[in-house]
Amino acid sequence: MAKDLTNITIRIAEIMINELKLEDVTPETFDPEIDLVDEVGIDSMDLATVALVVQDEYGIRIDEDDYPKLTTVRFIAEYVQERM
Amino acid sequence: MDLYNKRDAGREQNQSGKRWKFSDLIADPETGKRWEKVRKYFFLRESTYDMTNRCNIRCEGCYYYEGEKQFAKENGDPEAWHTLMEHEKSRGITYVVLAGAEPSLVPELCEVCFGVIPLGAIASNGLRRIPGSVGYKIHISVWGNDETSLRIRGAKGMLHKQIENYKGDERAVFVYTFTSGNIDEVHEVTEFLAKHGCKLTFNIFSAPVGYAGPLRHTSESLMHTRKTLTDLLSAYPESVLFPPYNIVAHTHSHGLHDLYACSYPRMNPSQAIGLGRSFRQYRTDLTWDRDVACCVPDTDCSDCRHYAAGSAVVTARLFRHATDPDEFKSWLDYVDNYLSVWVMGYERGDNLCDHLVAPPGHELFR
Repeated sequence: MAKDLTNITIRIAEIMINELKLEDVTPETFDPEIDLVDEVGIDSMDLATVALVVQDEYGIRIDEDDYPKLTTVRFIAEYVQERM
Repeated sequence: MDLYNKRDAGREQNQSGKRWKFSDLIADPETGKRWEKVRKYFFLRESTYDMTNRCNIRCEGCYYYEGEKQFAKENGDPEAWHTLMEHEKSRGITYVVLAGAEPSLVPELCEVCFGVIPLGAIASNGLRRIPGSVGYKIHISVWGNDETSLRIRGAKGMLHKQIENYKGDERAVFVYTFTSGNIDEVHEVTEFLAKHGCKLTFNIFSAPVGYAGPLRHTSESLMHTRKTLTDLLSAYPESVLFPPYNIVAHTHSHGLHDLYACSYPRMNPSQAIGLGRSFRQYRTDLTWDRDVACCVPDTDCSDCRHYAAGSAVVTARLFRHATDPDEFKSWLDYVDNYLSVWVMGYERGDNLCDHLVAPPGHELFR
């Protein structure tokens, strides 16, 4: 279970880096606790884009109302794991 | 182009029950290319600013002269505006809309704003030309032919004056506001603007709170507006900036809030992300109040079909539209068009969806 969460976390970080074209960071070095809005500076459209790709990847449904909760890579990974 | 005949085909696809993956939607080459084009602008974060409490005309149903904001004391100090813009930039604002009451009366303040935040738009009545050094889009309000403008706005020869000021100016987009009383005269106005090479988009009159006057729309006038817009899109495809999905979103019997859930602070208590977090509507005394903050304050939210509101509210609903090829293409057309209306230098492409598609979770009109 813990290994799954680690893998999901790394994959979410990878999606984040690819979709938002983040530089100077790798999936392994991406801090999963960093606040995506306050510290990375992503906005609602960025988050919607990431959510769409995550939905595809894991075959889950992300509720639009849950966006405000998805403020770190860790939270997104846990959200995904709960729905897999 | 007959938008209506293709309507049912579009809806049938919506109701097919197939669950589309986002990767499937953008796998279509044209769709994928447009997606990559528009997403480059996801960095835009807007706020709006009243520049004066004065205007050189007085129009019936004007949003500015409703509510408390009209009583704000005008701050005409360029230094104060410069400080405000620097502060806005530092909190992540990348796009400004200079609006009430009439920004053309203070071109020096518009210059200051442009000097700090170079992306934006100015809402003007177009009677005074804003210097070319202010490189924002300029939205020139049109409320009918000259006869109607004289009656509703008290200004003589308005369209001729507006064209004289802005003909051939790449900043200019003429914004025709449909009221319930000026629908048919749009044909002559559009023909006149098209003849002069002007670009035109459309607004739907959205009643200010408490307004019960004759400009307010009814179901019948909205349907009439929809049909008229469909005809105009066919007749003037080069001049009219209003794809089929804009027609649906802005002439639906439900307003924008009911269709899409308005994301401006006034209707959105969440401050977690997006407009609810970053948007501010500054009065001309440079104060702001979250409780009334939206792009057209003092509009009756249940009647809001305003073009500026839609530009943010429909665009923000990417997630809801990424469920079906037609819905997603319609959304892309909406965003592509919105960017061409609001961002200097952005060129819109051909519409990807050539028929009317219902908003997610709704019928085409009701």
